[in-house]
Amino acid sequence: MASVTYRNVTKRWGDFAAVSNLSIEIPDGEFLVFVGPSGCGKSTSLRMLAGLEEITEGEILIGDRVVNNVAPKDRDIAMVFQSYALYPHMTVYDNMAFGLRLRRTPKQVIDERVREVAASLGIEMLLDRRPRQLSGGQRQRVAVGRAIVREPAVFLLDEPLSNLDAKLRVEARAFISKLHQRLGTTFIYVTHDQTEAMTMGQRIAVLRAGELMQIDTPSNLYEHPANIFVAGFIGSPAMNFFDNVLLTEEDGRMIVAADPYSLEVPEERYELYRPYLGKRVVFGIRPEDVHHPDYPPAGIIPAMGEANVDVVELMGNEKIVYLESEGKTILSRMDPRSDVRVGHRTGAVFNMANMHLFDPDTELALQ
Amino acid sequence: MSVFTWIILGLLVGSLGTYLLFSDRGRNPDHGALIGGIAGAVGSLVLLIPLWIYVYVQGKQPVYELPKDRPPLSGKHLTRMALYAFLILMMLVYLLPVYTVVVTSLKTPKEAGKLAKVWDLPTEINWKSYETALDELGPQLKNSFILTISATIISAVMGSMNGYVLAKWKFPGANIIFPLMLFGMFIPYQSILIPLFQFVQDIDLGGTIYGLIIAHVVYGLPITTLIFRNYYAEVPTEMLEAGAIDGAGFFGIYRWIVFPLSLPGFVVVIIWQFTQIWNEFLFAVTLTDQSSQPITVALALLAGGEAVNWNLPMAGAVLAALPTLVVYIVLGRYFIRGLLAGSVKG
Amino acid sequence: MQVSANRAGNPGRKLLRFTRRINPDRVYAILMILPSVILLAIFVYGFIGQTLWWSLTDWAGLEKNAEKNYIKLDNYKTLFSDITGMRFRQELVNTFFFTLFFVGGCLILGFILAVVLDQNVKGEGLFRTVFLFPMALSFAVTGTIWRWLLNPGGGINALPKMLGADAWNYRWINNRSPYTFNWHEVPLTTTLLIIAVLLFFIFRQIWRRKYLATIYLGVPMALLFLWMWSDWVSWDDTQAMHGTFNWQDVPRYVVAVIVIGFVLYMVSLLWHGKRRAALILGIPTAVVLLWYAAGGTDNFPNVEFPEAYGFNIALVGVIIAAVWQMSGYTMAMYLAGIRGVPEELREAARVDGCSEWQVYMRIVLPMLRPITLSAAIVLGHISLKIFDLIFAMAGIDHWPVSVPGVQVYYTMFRSNKFAVGSAIAIVLLIMVASVVIPYLITSLRAEHEL
Repeated sequence: MASVTYRNVTKRWGDFAAVSNLSIEIPDGEFLVFVGPSGCGKSTSLRMLAGLEEITEGEILIGDRVVNNVAPKDRDIAMVFQSYALYPHMTVYDNMAFGLRLRRTPKQVIDERVREVAASLGIEMLLDRRPRQLSGGQRQRVAVGRAIVREPAVFLLDEPLSNLDAKLRVEARAFISKLHQRLGTTFIYVTHDQTEAMTMGQRIAVLRAGELMQIDTPSNLYEHPANIFVAGFIGSPAMNFFDNVLLTEEDGRMIVAADPYSLEVPEERYELYRPYLGKRVVFGIRPEDVHHPDYPPAGIIPAMGEANVDVVELMGNEKIVYLESEGKTILSRMDPRSDVRVGHRTGAVFNMANMHLFDPDTELALQ
Repeated sequence: MSVFTWIILGLLVGSLGTYLLFSDRGRNPDHGALIGGIAGAVGSLVLLIPLWIYVYVQGKQPVYELPKDRPPLSGKHLTRMALYAFLILMMLVYLLPVYTVVVTSLKTPKEAGKLAKVWDLPTEINWKSYETALDELGPQLKNSFILTISATIISAVMGSMNGYVLAKWKFPGANIIFPLMLFGMFIPYQSILIPLFQFVQDIDLGGTIYGLIIAHVVYGLPITTLIFRNYYAEVPTEMLEAGAIDGAGFFGIYRWIVFPLSLPGFVVVIIWQFTQIWNEFLFAVTLTDQSSQPITVALALLAGGEAVNWNLPMAGAVLAALPTLVVYIVLGRYFIRGLLAGSVKG
Repeated sequence: MQVSANRAGNPGRKLLRFTRRINPDRVYAILMILPSVILLAIFVYGFIGQTLWWSLTDWAGLEKNAEKNYIKLDNYKTLFSDITGMRFRQELVNTFFFTLFFVGGCLILGFILAVVLDQNVKGEGLFRTVFLFPMALSFAVTGTIWRWLLNPGGGINALPKMLGADAWNYRWINNRSPYTFNWHEVPLTTTLLIIAVLLFFIFRQIWRRKYLATIYLGVPMALLFLWMWSDWVSWDDTQAMHGTFNWQDVPRYVVAVIVIGFVLYMVSLLWHGKRRAALILGIPTAVVLLWYAAGGTDNFPNVEFPEAYGFNIALVGVIIAAVWQMSGYTMAMYLAGIRGVPEELREAARVDGCSEWQVYMRIVLPMLRPITLSAAIVLGHISLKIFDLIFAMAGIDHWPVSVPGVQVYYTMFRSNKFAVGSAIAIVLLIMVASVVIPYLITSLRAEHEL
């Protein structure tokens, strides 16, 4: 059990900074997810913590101990790799026992622990098999088992679900979340998939090009993205953005002139946005906040618009509608009963209570 | 697990044999050579038999995979007949020398001397040529075995270590060192022959088999390093990182992960080095004298005399070719893999 | 040789890069590789350096403490221009022809066998084993066997008697005559055709920007052309032999090869619209030509009398034996290459409308080019330094089939002329290195680019 601290950590390969000046404090027992597109430095951050990459600048602490110069095996961590990295020449039992054996744990203890962990993961019948005789899901469990059998202070998981098919992935998500609840250890999890991040993380650190964009709980990240990148990255389908939007005032009402729409800003945000009046901003609205006029949910602050229907994808519980207006595509998640036909015009109701405005230069949310 | 234990044991016994061989040199050569030879042979048997079993149990991947239902280039009956006719003709051409060698070696000296009748079968089978050849070439055959086994094992083990370091560890200058090492594989050995000859004389091993072993170990390093490096490059680095997190260090990773995974690589390298060293000639003819020369040299000298009974060199040729041929026939797949590893550009 | 590995998964990533700190694992890694590095440094580079130094001295004899005087390049001058270097010059010519026919023969035969074996042949394994087994033999064994088979009184020559015909009377490696081929008696077009085909391939390689392949093709072509040209121009009725070349022409050949290489490169540059680069390249070309026209080569140390060298017929036997042994290797390479073409690619081609034959010609064959190159290099370097086959087939002083590799041994250990032997060895090394080093560099660079 231990907390983890990144203190101004930088990683450079020559001139290229894979991670720059990363500072995060992860309290003991937290499930933290690093998320971001490929090449954003999330894996590098994790590998520096594991001791697989050298830290160029700054320091990493596990508990109170600076581990910059500590070998991976002495950091009291365990890691689950993307490819699982199971040893193909060892049985499942030997794979799980390997780390304990190298630490000269008594045989009896090893046997007890391996069997206990195997039972808890439901893989006790696989102990005599070799990795190549296992299915993808079983391999994944063995890889997790190999990590937890050592009872480390920190768990590192590097995209452990990316080699599973969609259905197994959903199961494995729940399985890992439950595991965290049961063990109560610090988990640090790397993924490029924002769904995994949102469903599993207690806190999520969003990275881009080696820089920390925002770190917060999933709901805060979703409702109050700190910048355009986070707003666009979190949520699926992604948020709609209107660039080059003028914030004006007409008859005492604040208006977002998102061509071709003029949308009224809710009154409680007037105070907040007043300094930006007359300036160009970026307006963002999530697809679930664009409704069909016939089925507006209760309690929204509506603003009306119209658009052509381009594509309709019926998902069963909703319709994803691609609206087109003046060359701009707007995604909308509408009620499945909505009467939208491709090629026809339809009304659209924007829920301005959940609108977002960003500064086009700094890309930061206006607050 | 047992396979690895066997191999370690084989290595140990083999090296013990080599050690005895070296330690007894000069005092009582026959005695030392005998013990060393026996120990080496036992060691190699212990080493090779499990490897052979392993190869047959595990190595089910053929080198040439042919999809079953692929249409042939031409399905016409006549064309296919011509195809087979061509192949059978070529096969006969390739086997022609084998036929003469075997037939001639079984003839009496008198009959073998009748040049016009080389293609005729022997009127009576005469095994005497083999007895004589074994008498004359026996010591050299033993030399060849001692030489080949010790040099193969040493160069394979060193090559494996080099390959591990070069494939998986980063250190300054690796990108320069590797091509420089590789070049050693291509040089014409004539260009280092005199210094090598002098060197072997200087360390007082001239005219012995030990100088030859040293030469083969050193000049075998580039190819063994290359094969192992390419082999290890295919091992996912994540697996070694998992080992590092599990608590293994530099040697631990090699001992517990890389080495067990590289058994097929060892088979390829051992077979390759075995045939290469067994067949090598230039070093052998330069660095040894009559008592320590390997069989290739003895054979060439035996056949090189002007007035010879050809049945004898032919029997000698069979003796000299047999070990590598057996290896080739039993482990042909790995032989081919070695060929390709030594040749195809990725 | 397989210099580059195809890497699955994480290419290029290595383990635990602790670059700034002394890390025990890193020390172990260096310690582990150090013995090999030191050994190779001494045994390869140290020894080559020593040979190089000795080749510049007048050291004769076995006494290693004997006086060694620095005599500059005199040993090399002797080899290339003195009357005592005649055998060596003949050997260089032999090596050229041996390499040409041995490599060409192995590539062609191996390719035919591979294509035939690829046709879903029953008993493919058996055929493959038979074609490949000579590879497992040593050149010494092969040499002994073929020495017997090429015995003029029996062997192959007696083979027709099995069919009731008269025995051949061909003298094989005991033959002492060079190839007396008269260019005037055959249509000149045959030769020109070969040159035209080579030229076609050269331009194709240039077009594909494969300059290395261009050089490998262009140099033999230039030599072939020159050989023909010089023989044709210098021929008169009094001359006894044809199809030979005069050693005195060597400087001219060298100039011509350089000029042809430059011109080929210039053409390719112009083709790609790089006029300035072509112009810059044109200057050295012109300089070389002018230097030659002004008689720059006249002062070259050269043989005093015309020395005609041709293709020794005795080599045919050696070439047959060598091709018998090594064609299985090219077969294995080509077969692996053909089988390495992904089935999906063939299927895609079929769906696109290729016939089976077209699949072969358009998809499979183009993918074999790198294999041809590396096989040619491996065989080429074997043939340049060949020693044991000739030793076993003909001994070390049968000059019609002798090669520099044998001569080194002869000079060193029979004549005890260590210095001259060293000089020949260095010439050999330069020949091999000029083939291998460009190949090594391009393969390793290709690997880094992966």
